[in-house]
Amino acid sequence: MILIGERINGMFKDIGKAVREHDPKPLQEWAVKQKEGGAHYLDVNTGPNSEDQTVDLPWMVKTVMEVSDLPLAIDTTDYDAMEAALIAYGKPGALINSIGCEQEKIDRVFPMAAKYQADVVCLCISKSGIPKSAEERVALAMEFVANAEVYGLQPDNLFIDPIILPVNVAQEHAVEALETIRQIKLLSNPAPLTTIGLSNVSQKTPHRPLLNRTFAVMAMTAGLDSAILDANDDMMVDAIASARVILNKDIYCDSYAKVFRQR
Amino acid sequence: MALTGLDIFKQLPKTNCKDCGSPTCLAFAMAMANGKASLDMCPHATEAAKENLGAATAPPVRTVKVGVGEQEIVMGDETVLFRHDKTFYHPTAIAIQIPDTLSGAELDAKIEKVNGLVMDRVGQKIAIDMVAIVNASGDAATFKAAVEAVAAKANFALLLAADVAGLEAAVPAVAAKKPLLHAATAENWEKVVALAKANNCPVVVKGNGLDDTAALVEKVAAQYKELVIDFGNTQQAKTLAEMVNARRLAIKKKFRPFGYPMLACTIATDAKEEIVEAATYVAKYASIVCMKVDEKPLLLPLMAWRMNIYTDPQKPMTVESKNVYEIGAVGPDSPVYVCTNFALTYFAVEGEVVASKIPGYIVAVDTDGASVLTAWAAGKFVAEPIAEFVKNIGIMDKVNHNTIVIPGYVAIISGKLKEKSGYEVVVGPQEAAGIPAFAKARYPHLMK
Repeated sequence: MILIGERINGMFKDIGKAVREHDPKPLQEWAVKQKEGGAHYLDVNTGPNSEDQTVDLPWMVKTVMEVSDLPLAIDTTDYDAMEAALIAYGKPGALINSIGCEQEKIDRVFPMAAKYQADVVCLCISKSGIPKSAEERVALAMEFVANAEVYGLQPDNLFIDPIILPVNVAQEHAVEALETIRQIKLLSNPAPLTTIGLSNVSQKTPHRPLLNRTFAVMAMTAGLDSAILDANDDMMVDAIASARVILNKDIYCDSYAKVFRQR
Repeated sequence: MALTGLDIFKQLPKTNCKDCGSPTCLAFAMAMANGKASLDMCPHATEAAKENLGAATAPPVRTVKVGVGEQEIVMGDETVLFRHDKTFYHPTAIAIQIPDTLSGAELDAKIEKVNGLVMDRVGQKIAIDMVAIVNASGDAATFKAAVEAVAAKANFALLLAADVAGLEAAVPAVAAKKPLLHAATAENWEKVVALAKANNCPVVVKGNGLDDTAALVEKVAAQYKELVIDFGNTQQAKTLAEMVNARRLAIKKKFRPFGYPMLACTIATDAKEEIVEAATYVAKYASIVCMKVDEKPLLLPLMAWRMNIYTDPQKPMTVESKNVYEIGAVGPDSPVYVCTNFALTYFAVEGEVVASKIPGYIVAVDTDGASVLTAWAAGKFVAEPIAEFVKNIGIMDKVNHNTIVIPGYVAIISGKLKEKSGYEVVVGPQEAAGIPAFAKARYPHLMK
């Protein structure tokens, strides 16, 4: 299970301020802290208040790389800023986060992914919005896989996100998202990877951590490979480590929860 | 690995006509990948699609049989690359070569020796499986005579290794024994395969490395599918890599040309090195290893290795419960230890009894391979069955005392066991590691 730490995002006040002032400290502190929590990737997002993402995003990438060797998930829908950030990143293995299932986005981003040897988070959203049924979501996933072939990417360069919505207002979506994950793993060989914006499931609900980690375990059972989440939610990371052991993905030892964080 | 949605989707007509009952061809493909639909529900699927998908749902490695009756060897039908993922099913057949340059008394002596390559190990019979008659003379009539002589006397399935003329002369005479023919090559495959087909015998396709062999198998398989693959062993390391790659492609990628059992002929000239080479092929997917060594002491470790590799890791390993195990130079004073027949339990106890330097008897109660506590919880390692087992095995007639030692973890059964059996029941240490200290304290006079 690949954990993508969500915290270096300008939506959070401390990061938003740091991005405006180009103050490296909060970014670097969160980079270290999220790795300690168990993150395998760090998501970087300027937030809505950036005046010029093509400047701010590469700055964020370089700032985080000064203290962390974790791969970065570069989070923007401004693909010029994305390219600038990929150039600043300067090595293979970044994660482009994200694109929806629209041909012009695919045509813009997949060649970029191939060029910079980056993987891509692909959202099961089309122009007509978020499909409800698993079947429609899988059809979008298939679009991504078919296009990957065209642009010389492998199916497992894709992190397909079936999209999860808050259970308090869109309760019927969660079970469809789980079914989508299960079916995506049957789509091709090698299968695409799957990911999810985990905290979405609990927007504006009480007991958010409980919903988040319960859904994480259920999604892992369906075949989830990664998630964008709060890597410092210890109960969450413990639940994920436990699920890994129960699914026979990691060899059991008494200190499995600690070992999971050290990798 | 099952078919993926994409594999199936590529074979569908992409009409989205809904005649199958699914809203789109993609939905139908996913339903098939999920095992919820079958291709015959689509009225527009082409013959080619049916054949491709049919082939893709076939087992990754074809089952091929050599020999008849008790000599029959089943090869192939394997599904995993690592035995711990499930198990390996069909143990590698060991074939011993006999050159056709031998004749008369020499040949008879050789056949008798090869027939004798049968041994007992841990209560099981282990043996070679095949005799390979090799056309070393280059003469077809000599080969035919040798094959007939061997077929009349040998106790094992036959492998006939010769050129076209040799095979054409010898095969019809022994076709009823369903021998394996070696080999169809790029030069002669049409004739050899026609012969195999006419006589209903499996045939080895021998190429030169991965690409060449795959191309040859593809040609042959269009006509005949009772095949075994030989990559034409010229270097051990290369052959190992080829067999690993071929089996990976067959299982992971459903690559049909490698979906057959594999044969390797050893090339080492030193007998001991040949055993090591053969052991490598046994561990790495060979269905047949064809070799020259015919000495029991050399073959026994190879056969033991094969036995170990092909045991089912999901079933507990057990030791034979029929015997009383005598550890060291036992005498009538020696202690009697009681444990279960789970191999891990038994060998832990055995190792510690050896380490105690006090000779002792071990009785391995038949618990269907369960450990002490598991068997106790299941009612298989409690007073009555233990009392009965110890009595029936007759160990107490061999000693001049009336005491048995039981594992410390089942101390709770000691009273009832004493009552049921009439023996003095001594509670030993909880862990086998405590046996040396226990034995030294209790039997100092028996120390060697």
